[in-house]
Amino acid sequence: MIRRTFLREIGLSAASLPFLSGLPSLQAAAADSARKQRMVIMISPNGTIPKSFWPDTEGRDFALKEILAPLESYRERMLVLRGMSNKVRGDGDSHMRGMSCLLTGKELFPGNIQGGSHTPAGWCSGISIDQELKNHFQSKEATRTRFGSLEFGVGVPDRADPWTRMVYSGPNKPVGAIDDPYQMFKKLYGQLEDKEHLGSVLDELQTDLKKLQKMVSPEDRQMLAEHAEFVFEMENELKAAESQTLHHAAPELEPGISDTNDNIPEISRMQIDLMVNAFSNDMARVSTLQYTNSVGQARMRWLGINEGHHGLSHELDDNEDAQKKLVKINTWFAEQLNYLVTKLADTPEPGADDSMLDHTTIVWTNELGKGNSHTLDNIPFVLLGNGFGFDMGRSLAYNKLSINRLWMAFAHGAGHHLDSFGNPELCEGGVLDLS
Amino acid sequence: MPCRLLFLLVISLASALSEDTRQRGQVIYGKLCVECHGPKGEGVADEYDEPLFGDRTIPDLAKLIHKTMPEDAADLCEDTDAEAVASYIYEAFYSEAARARNKPVRVELSRLTASQFQQSAADLVGSFRRTKELGSERGLNASYYEGRNTRRDKRKLERIDPEIHFNFKEASPVLKEIKAEAFAIEWEGSVIAPETGVYEFIVRTENGFRLSVNAYSDKPLIDGWVSSGKMREERVSVTLLGGRAYPVHLEYFKFKEKSASIELAWKPPHGVDSVIPKEVLAPVRMAPVMVVSTAFPADDSSMGYVRGIAVSKAWHEATTVASIEVANHVVANLGSLAGAKPDSEEWAGDIQKFAGRVVAQAFRRPLTERELEFYVRRHFGGEVTPEVAVKRVIILTLSSPHFLYPEILSGDGIDSDDVASRLALYLRDSLLSKRSQKKVLDDPKVIRELATHLLDHPLTRAKVRGFFRHWLHIEGELDLAKDPELFPDFDQETIVEMRRSLDMFIDEVVWSESSDFRQLLLADYLYLNGKLADFMGEGTFDGREFRKVYFDPKARAGVLTHPYLLARFAYHRSTSPIHRGVFVTRNVLGRSLKPPPEAVKFEESRFDPHLTMREKVTELTKSKACMNCHSMINPLGFSLERFDAVGRFRFEEQNRPIEIESIYETIDGERISINGARDVAEHAATNSEAQRGFIQHLFEHLVKQSCNAYGLDTLDSLHDSFVKSGFHIRKLIVDIVTTAACHQLDTLETQES
Repeated sequence: MIRRTFLREIGLSAASLPFLSGLPSLQAAAADSARKQRMVIMISPNGTIPKSFWPDTEGRDFALKEILAPLESYRERMLVLRGMSNKVRGDGDSHMRGMSCLLTGKELFPGNIQGGSHTPAGWCSGISIDQELKNHFQSKEATRTRFGSLEFGVGVPDRADPWTRMVYSGPNKPVGAIDDPYQMFKKLYGQLEDKEHLGSVLDELQTDLKKLQKMVSPEDRQMLAEHAEFVFEMENELKAAESQTLHHAAPELEPGISDTNDNIPEISRMQIDLMVNAFSNDMARVSTLQYTNSVGQARMRWLGINEGHHGLSHELDDNEDAQKKLVKINTWFAEQLNYLVTKLADTPEPGADDSMLDHTTIVWTNELGKGNSHTLDNIPFVLLGNGFGFDMGRSLAYNKLSINRLWMAFAHGAGHHLDSFGNPELCEGGVLDLS
Repeated sequence: MPCRLLFLLVISLASALSEDTRQRGQVIYGKLCVECHGPKGEGVADEYDEPLFGDRTIPDLAKLIHKTMPEDAADLCEDTDAEAVASYIYEAFYSEAARARNKPVRVELSRLTASQFQQSAADLVGSFRRTKELGSERGLNASYYEGRNTRRDKRKLERIDPEIHFNFKEASPVLKEIKAEAFAIEWEGSVIAPETGVYEFIVRTENGFRLSVNAYSDKPLIDGWVSSGKMREERVSVTLLGGRAYPVHLEYFKFKEKSASIELAWKPPHGVDSVIPKEVLAPVRMAPVMVVSTAFPADDSSMGYVRGIAVSKAWHEATTVASIEVANHVVANLGSLAGAKPDSEEWAGDIQKFAGRVVAQAFRRPLTERELEFYVRRHFGGEVTPEVAVKRVIILTLSSPHFLYPEILSGDGIDSDDVASRLALYLRDSLLSKRSQKKVLDDPKVIRELATHLLDHPLTRAKVRGFFRHWLHIEGELDLAKDPELFPDFDQETIVEMRRSLDMFIDEVVWSESSDFRQLLLADYLYLNGKLADFMGEGTFDGREFRKVYFDPKARAGVLTHPYLLARFAYHRSTSPIHRGVFVTRNVLGRSLKPPPEAVKFEESRFDPHLTMREKVTELTKSKACMNCHSMINPLGFSLERFDAVGRFRFEEQNRPIEIESIYETIDGERISINGARDVAEHAATNSEAQRGFIQHLFEHLVKQSCNAYGLDTLDSLHDSFVKSGFHIRKLIVDIVTTAACHQLDTLETQES
């Protein structure tokens, strides 16, 4: 009852609860003396074409190959990491582990989802690095934001399985990407009215849920307890939203772009616009951008390619036509990355005298190293920006280095000093030193 | 009595004997096998890490052990020892029954799935609207008018038009007394959505029109009343829930334009632009349906069927937003839904009563005094308007666990309301159904009657159709496109028509008098229209209407040879006996297949181009490791080789006659010769594993819980009555939902007696 009264007292007019009213939010000039840090993970599927991707040389003096060429102007703010391996073994085929263990560094649970080979598997048994960092940021007043993290998708199919999910808020807790920009817009800027009604019923809903928890078996109680927790979170979000005002105007989305294969280029651009806007309004410090899914079959007709991406990626290296098309596809992804990086570089960091790119580390990676071998070695990793203070402008090569160690470097970069991340056995050697 | 005793004695003697064998097997297993396979057959890392389970029989297992085990000393365990080990592991962990025993499942608390939420919300709001019977007549009601207005006194003709697809050119429609210069037509009725999704409605005309679909208000969905005589096409997207009928209203007029024509088309989910066909139009105008348009996160389908087994933040947000959406809808239509007048003195009181009825309806039972106070009364009064109060009541109600978790019971046990609600949920994915007579549902017989009564409904039909899509692996967005050089006629429209043909076939089998499961596999006909018949090379006839076309029964057999499925399980340029074989093995024959020990790609280019597909696959899978499963998969796949990648019949490949004969080893270890699809179909139709697989799939789809959760003998008894009923699918559905609805019914008597 107290909470409800509180909501009443802070005023229930449409303007006061932006979460549902159409007003976006910002921790208004929240005096944050610490340097702001953000992380973005972008993923594209089906592996890369190594000869057109990896620079020939190591060190500071390296030239970008065809696929990375669109990012030429950011070469000095880039790290290319060769020789990174997803060493998670156990259940699931390479695609499933490639997708669902990439950001978690931990095994899949046994399950009965069957891949193209190997044993069947279920969801991942660990949390993904983006969610780990989100929790870290959300645990402190100074770095807490309204959403903590935002999961963007482009062409992600509407089905939940290990091939379509890479973000995990915990074991068995996949988080789906929102691949409809309009839905994301609604989430960010809320077009819903009636927040006051919501505020008034959430407290009662809690009461209801608590009462019912006593009526079900202990095994079933967990789900109701989680449900109650989400209600509680929503109340807090409403409250948080109340104290926020808008820094950057909400972007205007071109209306009527339907969520279809052929609109992928439009949707990609809209999602990146929304992401950068949400960052500039400090709605989140962590974000993921997922293009299609593992085994993704986008048909990039806008590049003159009619075959599905995954089908093409199975073609052998001596199929020149397929190689050419795959290079084109991967270059297109690099162009998307370039759009994001440029947008961040061109946007001044609110409350600082540099750009948002100076506060953001972006990583572009892939579920596989190479599509036709399904290898989880030599997975593409390109880092951009200066969020975590890595020494940029280098091309580095490792020998089957576990990606768990890279994720530890991200955590440490964010001031989250983990002793291990994911499966501890895969962290041998400790934090990867990128300074 | 003595008779029964003797019987028991025999049973226990027999089981004691085999118990002995098993114990001996256990001892041997402990000595020779456990090192590599683990104490419960779970496998040992670095030794043999695959768990031991499968569908071999005991004699088959014994043979295998005798020949091959232990791996480095196969003569250590032979003959009766091998039999003992086989019978021990079979009972302890190998067989499916053993696995079910070892890992007991229970009926888990589950929330409404996204579809169940949408359907339940639609029924909740719909229960306050006047309902009509849709009737069996198809087509739309048409009224033809003289002059450019739809004035009653100028109406010259009423009739039913099967489709709206007219080109009057410069002439008058239908009657001479209607002048060509100016006339108007009005079409009215309902459109039935076969599945849930976004439908694009399309009107093409050079004249004026207004279209509304599922409208709550007078505002048309497309207003194309003003026209300059040029042909144009207008489109609008509407989300519709499957298995429901929605009001349609199309007004049309011509006034001095040179010509007149009109077409009402749509693009259904997974479909292509086409004139809305007669079978989904009805002349009765139904009440509008509240369609929740909030996007829900995809439900868990990790067990192979969609179920509401977990909650997430995204889900909580979606249900909250959806509740607000429903509340807004109700408030916007408050007067008509509540049957009250806003300016009357009783308004506030009427709305409060209405709010109480909504909550009771949503919770499927009368409310207690305390509940009435908590959910309804205290929201009313004071400065709050009745509109705001009812809005809050609805948001609270639809986000309440009493609505979201159907298995949470109202009191100490289940009562008649719970049983009725379960039946509706299993059959229609909706919590609510109208019960004409409020009988006490405490007896499986009465419950079965109600289930039978609820069965024949468009919502059940839609759900059953959804099941078949799942069972046949044709859910969601499928890309069946083939290489246009090899199959130039296999265009998008052909694919869509093939899918319609498959839907019609399944509907025909399921909803016919005999509803015979075996007919799914054995039928010797297909539904074809002119275009498909031409494509398939099966005679020529004109027309868009489908008709039954009979085949030589030797050539084709039921769904197994339906071109849509054959094309679905095929490569871009060629057939795929492996995909077809795996589909038949798993889904049709209900056998379990282990995943391939290593991923092997089928690369057509690696083979001598003169080889047949059968030769290529045989070559590719010849290793011992592959043949463990492919000895089962390949023969089944080869038996369908007389159908090319788009499902057309063929005799030759590479200028050689196609060999389809092969030997298939059944689950009982019997080697049978199969010669084509018909043999496979006949085997499947009479094979009890295949039937049990079908029952299990259907159970999970309807109830969204595992069949074993209702007792380990549930599957057996469902199978028994399936056999007794002559494999009657609809009776099986009634059986399944009755079984699940009776769960924990024993608590009922104390409740209601």
